[in-house]
Amino acid sequence: MVTQAQSPNIYLLVPIALMAALLGTAVIRGPSLVSPAGTGAAIIVAAPLILATYSLMVLAVAGRGTIDLAVGPLLAFINVVVVKLSTSGILVSPIATFIVALGLGMLYQLAFALVVIYVRVQPIIVSLSGFLALTGINLVILPRPGGIAPPFMQDWGLGTTIFSPVLLILVLATAGWYLFTATTFYSNLKMTGYDERAAWTSGVKTDIVRIGAHLIAGIYVGLGAICYTALISSGDPTQGQNMTLTAVTALVLGGVALSGGRGGVTGALLGAVSLWLIGYVLATFNFGAIQAFITQMIYGLILVASLLLTLLVPLVGRYISFVSPWSAFLVLGFVVIGIMLQVSTIGNYNETGSVLVQQPLADRYFLLEPARAVGEGFVMTRVQLLALLTGVAAVCFTVAARLMDSEAGRRRMGLFQYLFVVSLLLALFIVIAIRPESAIQG
Amino acid sequence: MVDLNMPVKQIDQDADSAGKRGRRRSFGMLPIPQSRFVIWVNIALSLVIATIGFGVGFGEGYLSAQQVILFGVVTAALLFLLLNYVAIIFEDRAAAADGETEAEAEHRRLRSRTLWRNNIVMVLAMSALLVLYLLLTASIEEFRSIKNLIAFLVLELILLFAFKVSGYFASGRSAFIGLIVLGALIVISAFSIEGFLSAPNVRAILLFAAFLGIASVGQTMVALLGGLDLSIPFVIGAANIALLSLITAGVPSYVAFGFILVLGGAVGFLNGLMSYRLQGQALIVTLGTGFAVAGFTQIMTSIGSKFAGNVFGVVPGWLSNLAAMNGRFFGMKFPPTIVIWIVIAIVMIVGLRMTAWGRNLYALGGNRGAAKLLGISELKYWVACYVISGVFAALTGALLLGWSGGAFIGVGDPYLFTTLAAVVIGGTSLLGGNGGYGFTVIGVLVLQVLTSFLLGIGLQYEWQQFIFGLLILPMVALYGRSPHIRATV
Repeated sequence: MVTQAQSPNIYLLVPIALMAALLGTAVIRGPSLVSPAGTGAAIIVAAPLILATYSLMVLAVAGRGTIDLAVGPLLAFINVVVVKLSTSGILVSPIATFIVALGLGMLYQLAFALVVIYVRVQPIIVSLSGFLALTGINLVILPRPGGIAPPFMQDWGLGTTIFSPVLLILVLATAGWYLFTATTFYSNLKMTGYDERAAWTSGVKTDIVRIGAHLIAGIYVGLGAICYTALISSGDPTQGQNMTLTAVTALVLGGVALSGGRGGVTGALLGAVSLWLIGYVLATFNFGAIQAFITQMIYGLILVASLLLTLLVPLVGRYISFVSPWSAFLVLGFVVIGIMLQVSTIGNYNETGSVLVQQPLADRYFLLEPARAVGEGFVMTRVQLLALLTGVAAVCFTVAARLMDSEAGRRRMGLFQYLFVVSLLLALFIVIAIRPESAIQG
Repeated sequence: MVDLNMPVKQIDQDADSAGKRGRRRSFGMLPIPQSRFVIWVNIALSLVIATIGFGVGFGEGYLSAQQVILFGVVTAALLFLLLNYVAIIFEDRAAAADGETEAEAEHRRLRSRTLWRNNIVMVLAMSALLVLYLLLTASIEEFRSIKNLIAFLVLELILLFAFKVSGYFASGRSAFIGLIVLGALIVISAFSIEGFLSAPNVRAILLFAAFLGIASVGQTMVALLGGLDLSIPFVIGAANIALLSLITAGVPSYVAFGFILVLGGAVGFLNGLMSYRLQGQALIVTLGTGFAVAGFTQIMTSIGSKFAGNVFGVVPGWLSNLAAMNGRFFGMKFPPTIVIWIVIAIVMIVGLRMTAWGRNLYALGGNRGAAKLLGISELKYWVACYVISGVFAALTGALLLGWSGGAFIGVGDPYLFTTLAAVVIGGTSLLGGNGGYGFTVIGVLVLQVLTSFLLGIGLQYEWQQFIFGLLILPMVALYGRSPHIRATV
């Protein structure tokens, strides 16, 4: 009996499943998500949260139970400072804005790292201290929301297209992390986070590694603050606490270990997007006056449930050894993208008068009932048929490949899957881009 | 190189013997340098400075001639003594350096280096404070007052105490520092704020300290096991609105009160059960339960209400009396909440110290493996601590309802990180096994007195937060430092 080598990224199973479920629901409930404007707005709204989660992720990987509670207030602090400087006319050029934002983030994180290393206080206490201090000073700098963002980012926050500067920042930040994972520094960082003593004994300069991790986290916070400033086009000193809580939640939803040594932007990205999707899905239901409470409750429940699910992952991995995060990602990805294609091309169906659902319960809670096709049944255009067939074929192919792969005892599937995913995403983009025309034709 | 582990005593003796070689003649207590030249220079210096003082004294015209002369003479004499003393030290050192061997020189250098290394933080901290004070004094006109000078001196004294004296208190070091800070805060506040020690103000401080203290009971217990409970503020808020809505719905107020406590315990039970397997993530689990509980309670209280999220009703008199500022305790003019807190504190401190249950808790927090081998059930204690946390959070919420007279879900929000801050400032380690409720009481009092002080000198909420944040770090740095990694390998 050959013992199966577990994928090191097995922890991503829960985030992937959660994300797929949420994305599917979100697209069905609010089809406007699959349009240039919808996706663009989604990217811009979710970007600050994603970047804040990246920042938390880097620190969590560095170990010692570092959860930077101050990430929200720090983001708000940079936002407030940038807006204050821009309102008084000092900060105009993009380069200066980026230098100020990233510089502030890195300075704070450097101080954090030095305190942790030399004063040797637990990181969580340092971050608690930073949380209180920054929350206070934010309100001193800008007592109430207001001010104007630097002029060059005025049109960043419109969200009418997918390809906005915010997306560029996000892509660069994500790609930057993947490049970083190729370095020795990254393996040292993971080792330090997993077992600092072992790393230290084997000659890793743990102090330097820690400082490096904090500086990277500072860069991410700075970028997040820029995206946040672009999003709200002004300064807001009050959202720090919320941002911290949501970012920590996203971090955990993404399966990053708070004990250190495990995590990456994939998980953080999945977590942050899932969190945003929860809000999106809940906003499509109409709960009336208790909307906010339901949102809060569901947040909490999903948080706890996803944590409890991570307990099941080793169990699942033991019995179903051919399930790897990648295969799960591919299979679920096909399902979700299929739903997206279906929803985005729904205008092509021949609608012969949809029937309104009249039940009182549905009337109360499911007001945004999407249009259903009735009458002639499943009439598909050729594009849809092609997409469906490709999807089904790909799912079968992936499962088969994965099965063979696991029988062969190999751990990686090679370049194939990367190419596969990229081509799929391209297909989705094309469909989204040509949708308005097809809708007109239909 | 000299062996670093050489006993300090021996080094001392060596240094003494080195000093003896350079011993000189002296007239009783009066230090006289060996070199004539130095004596004359000293005399000249003291006379010149005394003359300057003399001139200024007459020039100003504030003092009478006799006083000026007296001060002049005293200054000259004191200066002469001081200068001689300094001169002798240097002469001694030079003489000793001539006579000492290689090894002795090494010891001496080592000793001075360790002396410097041991005190570098203190010297740096004290000089930083001095520079800050001088800068403020130089730049701000209103800052130059005798109160601020006293405050500055008290702060320097605290630093000195914290670094030097606290070393003798092995276990209760944090409590000692906390008490000094508390004392200093009270002294400074009493000096600089009118009516700080008046009965209403003290009552207010104690009342808010009681709320925070009761809310921190659970956080302390959980921290002793190495966990965290972030659901406390949400449970407080939920208990607050749930109690009023129950009372409004017609449930007898005593029954409702007890029921709320039971519900709080149930939430804590869930917390403990779910976070037991996820101890590293207890922070997030409790946060999640907190969200869920707050959301759920608001939904339940909104059913049948026109104004979702708001609960209206009349708080029963006994509850108001329990916690309101004008409440009475058997005719005495303070709210019974303070007494409740004191009783809880005593029970907690004694319970943690004396009972087997309390000792087991410390054992578990200190070393899971060892405690397990002793037959202590980790699950039972972990869940019990969270249940206690939930019950006391609910109690705080109920008492806050009596205090404010109206229900509001956000009433717990300030307690999100304040309970944690109180525990940390008090000196309970978040890693578990160290600390106790007595420490937390000190932390709570420090926080409340500081709040009152900052309010008194006219600083707003945001500045208070800022100062809290900056205060936590140095206080924990004084007693809560983890060992260097070199020491743990």
